[in-house]
Amino acid sequence: MASPPGSLVIKSILRQDWLGLLLVVVLAIAGLALSQPNFLSSFNIYVLLLGFSLSVLIALAQMVIIAIGQMNLSVGAIGGLAAISFAGLMEVVGLPVPLAALAGLAIGILCGCLNGWITHTTGLSAFIITLATLSIFKGLNLGITEAQPFYDIAPAVKAFGNARMGPIPVMLVAPVIAIIAVWVLMNRTVLGRQMLAVGGNPNAAELSGISIRRAVVAAHAISGLLAALAGMLAVARLQLGQPTIGDDWLIISFAAPVIGGAVLAGGHVSVIGTCLGVVIVTLINNALVLYGIDPFFVQLLLGALILAAVGINRYHEVQEQARRFA
Amino acid sequence: MASEAFPASRGVKRYAFGWQSFLASNEVGLLAVIAVFALVFAYANPGFTSPFNLYALSRVLAIDVVIGFSMMVVLVTGGLNLAVGSIAVSAVMVGGYLMQVAGLPIPLAVVLAIAFGTLLGWINGFLTVRMRVHSFIVTLATMSIFFGAMILATQADAFNELPRAFIGFGKERVFGFVSILLFVALAVWLGLMVVFHLTGLGRELLAAGASPAAARISGLRVDRATIICHSLSGGLATLAGLMLTMRNGAALPSMAGHIGSDWLLPAFLAPVLGGTLLTGGVVSVTGTLLGATLVTVLTNGLLQLQIGEFWVQLFLGLVLLLAVTLNSLRRAFTWRPHRAAS
Repeated sequence: MASPPGSLVIKSILRQDWLGLLLVVVLAIAGLALSQPNFLSSFNIYVLLLGFSLSVLIALAQMVIIAIGQMNLSVGAIGGLAAISFAGLMEVVGLPVPLAALAGLAIGILCGCLNGWITHTTGLSAFIITLATLSIFKGLNLGITEAQPFYDIAPAVKAFGNARMGPIPVMLVAPVIAIIAVWVLMNRTVLGRQMLAVGGNPNAAELSGISIRRAVVAAHAISGLLAALAGMLAVARLQLGQPTIGDDWLIISFAAPVIGGAVLAGGHVSVIGTCLGVVIVTLINNALVLYGIDPFFVQLLLGALILAAVGINRYHEVQEQARRFA
Repeated sequence: MASEAFPASRGVKRYAFGWQSFLASNEVGLLAVIAVFALVFAYANPGFTSPFNLYALSRVLAIDVVIGFSMMVVLVTGGLNLAVGSIAVSAVMVGGYLMQVAGLPIPLAVVLAIAFGTLLGWINGFLTVRMRVHSFIVTLATMSIFFGAMILATQADAFNELPRAFIGFGKERVFGFVSILLFVALAVWLGLMVVFHLTGLGRELLAAGASPAAARISGLRVDRATIICHSLSGGLATLAGLMLTMRNGAALPSMAGHIGSDWLLPAFLAPVLGGTLLTGGVVSVTGTLLGATLVTVLTNGLLQLQIGEFWVQLFLGLVLLLAVTLNSLRRAFTWRPHRAAS
């Protein structure tokens, strides 16, 4: 109480569980910058931020679902469906860009609501439900496109995908807004707290008057929205509506939140931790390229990182328990 | 003694006495649905019952059945194995190397490949047990690791000069219209029936899945059960992979899609349709066989009706959704209070 506010801030920062991650990120950046002069070049930073933009949205889409103690295998399929809808509505129907973008987001929200509603109504594990909807969304995607991309992307979207201010891609705006919004949701709003409560202990949450249905459907809707946003950013970046967008999102979507300290049982997630998790994955990708290492290596490393992160989280948990019972 | 502590009826559906319960069983329902669809397809398209189509169907069916079994054996303990496709591809590439480059005799190469797949499954089981986390996250990580290691080792190159005798085996027909691979699948079915219905090991695995805590208190080695199931899953996934390799005529790194994820849907569809519960402790070996049959008949029939290949995936997703929903409904109807208390 008597300590000045400055030290309180420092103390609260020191108490954050993402501090270790931040240290890792700083060390990695320092190491890469010292060993690879190209690392800090304007173009490389641009490439890094582009990778971060997309990955962080994918990771947040999964993190919101981890918060309620579930999982969403269909993040990639929703992203892909929103992406080809966005591109298709522009090319085939001739919708103006803002309308097509809104429609893409709406499709994401709709898919998410569907996931949430079915999961809650049937009371089945979200794993099997989202495996089924993954196949439904992907089937829709392939049925509509017949596995052919939409090439005719509006110039405005292409320009948005290419625009940069020095080393900063303009499309970074979208993930930055999303990060802030999700942070506010999780830390400052009733809905976010309710979602975490449902994830931590659904029975206790229900007994204290929280509508589980509302929390679950809202979380899935937000997840769908973020996935759709990621899908449309991918269209802007690739400059075409590729039906395969989202096919390889599964691992990264889980890797970043888990590295960031999310507890898969639900009830505890960290937005900043997840962002740092994405930064670490992006840096690893970049380092492999800079050092000329086989890019296939990244698959192996991502898996190992997930295992390591889960192992460390588990170790902390055991220690915490030991301390509590001591 | 073990059979008294864990009566078979707890996990394996006991052979019902009396017609009523027989007709109400999941397997009979599935058989009826399969028969209806088969009749509809045969009526709508005469090509459906042609010897060639039946041969093609039986070949696909054989692979789907074994893929379903590879997931079923982990579902028994309430776990799951996302890495089935990844393990299969990795082990098949090892098998392809042993046959094509190292020139090992085919039976030895096949045995070594299956042993390798079993080892990868063992790693999954070992990590799950040691880290005390759900097999979902462990196998999510290992699916990426196994696939990444395989791609690094092979540089994404296929083995497409496999011995003729190996590829030729997959082309054998019995009675002119049944693929020999289907008999391999039926042999696996028989083996698993024996394990889960007749052996103490099968009962142990089911008891460990039904209630790990209770099983542990009764002195069962739950960790051992988990590791056995994962190892078995790896071995069966490899067998399915080898069968698919015979069908493709080459060992392809892309045969199960990106990090093997294309296998997830068929792997879950067959056991879930067949009535195996995701929560563990309940298994239906014959149900899995029939579930895979339904999926294969549906896919084949729809493709024959010129319904675009891509819409079939959507359809299978709907089938999975319907199946799990029906399963949960049926459980709600058969729910008995005294069971909940026990």
